[in-house]
Amino acid sequence: MTTANSIGTDTPMAIPKLDYTPQMSPEPELTPTEQREKPNYLNWQYGLLSWVLTVDHKRIGLMYLVSVSIFFMFGAIAAGLVRTNLIMPTGAILELDQYNKAFTAHGTIMLFLFLIPVIPGVLGNFLVPMMVGAKDMAFPKLNLMSYYVWAAGALFFVWQLTVGGLDTGWTLYPPYSSKYSHTNVLYAGLGIFITGFSSILTAINIIATVHKMRCPGMTWGRLPLFVWAMYATSVIQILATPVLAVTVVMLAVEKIFGVGIYDPTIGGDPILFQHMFWFYSHPAVYIMILPGMGVINEVLTCFSRKNIFGYKAVAWSSVGIAVVGFLVWGHHMFLAGQGYFLGQVFALLTMLVAVPSAIKVFNWTATLYGGSITFQAPMIFAIGFIILFTIGGVTGLFLGSMGTDIHLHDTYFVIAHFHYTMVGGMMFAWQAGLHFWWPKMTGKMYSDFWSRLAAVVMLVGFALTFLPQFVAGYMGMPRRYPNYPPEFQIYNVLSTAAAYLQGIGFAMPAFYLIGSLFFGKPAGNNPFRATGLEWQTSSPPGPHNFESLPQVYFGPYEYSVPDGLKILNDGSTNGVHSNGSANTDKGAAHGS
Amino acid sequence: MAANLKGPVAHHFNNLNQQLTTVRMGMWMFLVTEVLFFGGAFCAYTAYRVWFTSDFEAGSAALNVGIASVNTFLLLTSSLTITLGIRAAYAGNPKGLRNYLLATIILGVAFLGLKGREYQLDYQEGLIPNVSVLTPEAQKVVNERIAKDPGKADEKVYPFNENLAVVLHHEKFKGEPFVAYDPFRVQLFFMFYYSMTGLHVLHMIIGLGLLTWQYILACRGFFDYNARYVYIEAMSLYWHFVDMAWMFLLPLLYLAGPHSASQALEQFKVAIGLASGTH
Repeated sequence: MTTANSIGTDTPMAIPKLDYTPQMSPEPELTPTEQREKPNYLNWQYGLLSWVLTVDHKRIGLMYLVSVSIFFMFGAIAAGLVRTNLIMPTGAILELDQYNKAFTAHGTIMLFLFLIPVIPGVLGNFLVPMMVGAKDMAFPKLNLMSYYVWAAGALFFVWQLTVGGLDTGWTLYPPYSSKYSHTNVLYAGLGIFITGFSSILTAINIIATVHKMRCPGMTWGRLPLFVWAMYATSVIQILATPVLAVTVVMLAVEKIFGVGIYDPTIGGDPILFQHMFWFYSHPAVYIMILPGMGVINEVLTCFSRKNIFGYKAVAWSSVGIAVVGFLVWGHHMFLAGQGYFLGQVFALLTMLVAVPSAIKVFNWTATLYGGSITFQAPMIFAIGFIILFTIGGVTGLFLGSMGTDIHLHDTYFVIAHFHYTMVGGMMFAWQAGLHFWWPKMTGKMYSDFWSRLAAVVMLVGFALTFLPQFVAGYMGMPRRYPNYPPEFQIYNVLSTAAAYLQGIGFAMPAFYLIGSLFFGKPAGNNPFRATGLEWQTSSPPGPHNFESLPQVYFGPYEYSVPDGLKILNDGSTNGVHSNGSANTDKGAAHGS
Repeated sequence: MAANLKGPVAHHFNNLNQQLTTVRMGMWMFLVTEVLFFGGAFCAYTAYRVWFTSDFEAGSAALNVGIASVNTFLLLTSSLTITLGIRAAYAGNPKGLRNYLLATIILGVAFLGLKGREYQLDYQEGLIPNVSVLTPEAQKVVNERIAKDPGKADEKVYPFNENLAVVLHHEKFKGEPFVAYDPFRVQLFFMFYYSMTGLHVLHMIIGLGLLTWQYILACRGFFDYNARYVYIEAMSLYWHFVDMAWMFLLPLLYLAGPHSASQALEQFKVAIGLASGTH
């Protein structure tokens, strides 16, 4: 990737003054009748069957969107129960076993049914084929099957949670999950196993799509960084998820036959379970965060009107996280008896995984530097992501160093740390992506005011929820306990109050986004005047995404190309990515 | 493959070559996940194999290496036949393809039949932890022990452990003094044995179902478009993987303990009814 600056020096042409303000509807307005009659993926087929049997990646993406939103609501209700209970030092509303079930439900639903499928399922499905210029995923039927497998596993899992509950914590450590569990771990494990299978199928699909379905001119160096991130995520998914599957299978075998593989009370080794579990579950936190990082690249460049700083560094840091992420699982087990030397090695490797994450943060900051920044809702979420993820990442180093981890292990410091990365990171990235691509998905623009307000409410609510937990955790408040010494009450009350505010913030998009479907203005093809291939087609896209096979001549973030806007506007009319003949030589220069 | 391939291109592909390479790649990706799936089990097995060396050897000695040897032969041959089938297909010989597919299915079913017989013998020998009851021989041993020392009548009897002792002290091990073992650790070996071979059998059943489906398609002329042979190629990749998994299971489980060729032959004769079992 050559940056636009080198072009500017090569080309002795006057740089026209550009209007960088995002426009809501740069496209010529269609009359309501024309809008309705133009075929798009939403209106070209009707009826229930055209949805439940669809193989269109865009429709499947929307099905994921509805499903994960519902599961997010369940997980949020469980979180509300936990936080409400913690108002009182002796527990406000829940019995002890109910408390165990509530925090387990919160953890398992949020991780397995929301964070892992949300961006790959919704945005990955919807956008990866469009971003690489394909008509669909590589395996459309497999894609649909993957959705149903996931939905079946998720429903089964939630059913198990409602009839019996699960009281093991999301980690399912034996002997909590074997001897000391009063709930049906076997069936809940089966639910996790099934959703994992779906995660593998989606990942295979995305990898094959990125490798094989790229349109002419879409080289690896011109892939949007969201695609790079999804690719790295998928690699982790196909390598890590099967190990969780076999771990759960052996947990089931132990339960059924009563011979100890993991359970120490019947001769098994619980450390073995922890090794195998974290071999999946540590890479799984990168399954959760990497797609979010991908979204941030797209949003930041668009709303600062700049090319990404260090494309190759950002792209390869995604792959770096995927690789090094497999080598650090032992930092969850410093105090579990894995041995001092092994702990040192894992602590060192953990420092290593901070490097690619830091590369990303520095590159994002450099991208913002000197940009023409506008603060629309996606950008507020993205800026929030950078700040919160950085805090989450740096506190992760406290926990990855053995010495400090001995003090902080299993305290609320850990809770605050991973909520900063998972909620402050992934949840904000998800909101950024949802708000960024909502006009593309639905063709409608949501309320500018309400979306910005929601972003600010979420940010404030989030920060006030989890900052006190760092303090409480540092002072020694252990995680997962329903009761705590009274001196911690102030932190918990503050945290709970802010959690309600955060809940309001997370509920707001449900109203104004759904409202936009009915009352929103038509968004036009490219409301944010972004450069990605997906913006060059109509909104909502047609059944086959592009009217003709796109041809790509330059990289994904050429916001600084002097006549970039003209190129884009030319390109958008015929549904291709800047295939004006005048740009061909310039494109060649970019690609070199 | 050859450039003269013909066949319909699915709606989302631009050309046939793209479609064919995508199909192959998808199957390779799936096999990567399968490697990790079995790999996790191998990893856990290996950890215990290192800790409980002699116990796992004792467990391995109680397995039926005769059936396993014959099964290895069957499965490797089936990998050969499916490859020959693809070769026949691309050489323009659909009849050869059908016959080789049928041969592959027959070999696979024979494998499963023998595997089922092996499980049945394991069941008869009472080697299923926490499920088996005492076999008559083991009951006799327990009775003799109690008769010798009535004080032991109140001791808890673990059927698996008694049955295992009977199997391991059977005359086939005469002259080969066996290492000391802890029967509870051998139970763990058997858990790995059942779950790992069980997963392998599950993969075989799925594979045989798909092969049968492809055989029916081949008979119905689905493969008249020669580009569609790629589906059989993908199927064969899966089948070779099942084969490879077995090639790891065989040494890990069956060859870990002391066996002899004559013993294996004897076991196989018993399995197919040519010789009578002694218990």
